[in-house]
Amino acid sequence: MTMSDDARANMEWAEWFQGNYRLMTDEEKALARARLERRYSREYGKAVSVDGTPAQEGVLMGYALNIKKCIGCRRCAKACVEENNQSRGKDQEIEWIRVLKMEKGEFSQEKMNQGYPEGLGIQVGGNAYSPAGVVLEGEHYYQPEAVPEKDSAYMPIACMQCEKPPCVKVCPVRTTYREADGPVVIDYNWCIGCRMCMSACPYWARRFNWSDPKLPKEAMNPVTHYLGNRPRMKGVVEKCTFCIQRTRKGRYPACVEVCPTGARKFGNLLDPNSEVSRIIARKNVFRLKAELNTFPKFFYFMD
Amino acid sequence: MKIPAFLSAALLVAMLSFSSAWAEPVKCFESRKGASEVTQRTIGENLTNVKCSPKTGAVLWWSDPFDGTVPMGDMPVQDANFNSEKAVVKPRSDKLGLLPLCGNTCHTGVLPKGFPQNKDTRQLVLMHQAIVLDSTKLPHGRGNIWCLDCHHSTQRNKLVDHRDNPISFDQPQRLCGKCHGEVYRDWREGIHGKRIGEWASTGTKRWFVCTECHNPHNVQHGDRNRGFAQHQPEAAPALPKGLKTADHERRKSGAASH
Ligand code: SF4
Ligand code: SF4
Repeated sequence: MTMSDDARANMEWAEWFQGNYRLMTDEEKALARARLERRYSREYGKAVSVDGTPAQEGVLMGYALNIKKCIGCRRCAKACVEENNQSRGKDQEIEWIRVLKMEKGEFSQEKMNQGYPEGLGIQVGGNAYSPAGVVLEGEHYYQPEAVPEKDSAYMPIACMQCEKPPCVKVCPVRTTYREADGPVVIDYNWCIGCRMCMSACPYWARRFNWSDPKLPKEAMNPVTHYLGNRPRMKGVVEKCTFCIQRTRKGRYPACVEVCPTGARKFGNLLDPNSEVSRIIARKNVFRLKAELNTFPKFFYFMD
Repeated sequence: MKIPAFLSAALLVAMLSFSSAWAEPVKCFESRKGASEVTQRTIGENLTNVKCSPKTGAVLWWSDPFDGTVPMGDMPVQDANFNSEKAVVKPRSDKLGLLPLCGNTCHTGVLPKGFPQNKDTRQLVLMHQAIVLDSTKLPHGRGNIWCLDCHHSTQRNKLVDHRDNPISFDQPQRLCGKCHGEVYRDWREGIHGKRIGEWASTGTKRWFVCTECHNPHNVQHGDRNRGFAQHQPEAAPALPKGLKTADHERRKSGAASH
């Protein structure tokens, strides 16, 4: 195989047999990236860069989202697709961000004693016919004319970049790991597609490429990072990386920039003057499923 | 004169390509419809300054966050926690088509005879009903404020502060902060509002000013339950393979209907 005249076959051979990115020397990493740059540039018909900027000292990336501001417009989810080269199309559309819609329930005097059996009320399960408080069953596929809808709350969810990520614990080939500046990343070349991480993740943050990703040439974002938005292949898992290709270069993640309500905030948790640190210091903050001890670096907050 | 078929076909192709070369430039709105707009243009190989949503017309992606921005200038508050050199805004005055006319044609500061000579609330009879239907019941402030609480009484292309000093339309935060002090503080510190550019607390950022996201004239509008006008949402994600509808996630119980 190595002796083949076909440059592409040569490249693929090298890719198949390269080591785990984390264990490669700097030269090996540079070679692997250069190889990918050549291949992607040819496949997508434009100059593609595959960056390898490592974590910076003194940075721990964190995210905050004002849950009272989110209007459920889904621009964040679509911006993410544009930025991170996800597969599109009817059959296999991959979105890392999901925006859940939840409706307001009610507490009402008339229904207090409704339940089964009739008349015994709360003692046997209470107000079983109408939900109380905020309805915790989210809807993904809401499609009204306009958002926000009356009496609805919205909860966007993506990877929480856990400090103790269960997805990392279960990966049998150690292809997914936490970077020094926080984000949990995947070396797609080492992913064997066993999807253990998907079942371990309590936030439903990982997606699997069941077929060859559909990434139109003209829409492909040519500014990529090895551990971030470079094109994926069939049979690998992918997820949010806090836009590592942007954030390692100082730019905000794409979802932060596109959110029309400014609900999304990003910054360095180790810098007391960063937007996220100020939010954590001053606002009411909660994390999803905190009881699981995953210690997310994604904070929901309220005004 | 009869044009040979192959020639007319060639002519048609030429005309088509001509018209597409002269196609209208794509404009998309930034935060909310009706406020700041940006014109899509090519800035590099296969790269446009912004990408727009084909469904809603909203900007979905910025490749150059500082396009068309100017320094914000000093904030009117002592020790505001930001680096004024690193804060940029996109000026809005030149986008407000009628603004240059306001103070020169109608509101020149010289009132015709018979016009009320004070700043008291009154009904507007002819003008501006497209902006505010009933100026005595302005939704903003629930009827407690009216035009001249925000707009300068003699220089109509300016807003006004508490001391009757004019404020530029590019700096509406100096006006809005008069009442919304707590929000203003959060905005200065990056907790409220939208910024794009560099995330480091010392980085260069484009700050979005109040009116880029909020429409001050229709703060209570439609079914909204937030401080934003309603938007058309982007498309729902693709359904799981094999499913034709999303009925599986509709609640079977419950009072609220769809
Ligand atoms: S949210 Fe899921 S995918 Fe992300 S780090 Fe935590 S366990 Fe892993
Ligand atoms: S873009 Fe902002 S407001 Fe819209 S759904 Fe996402 S978080 Fe919510």
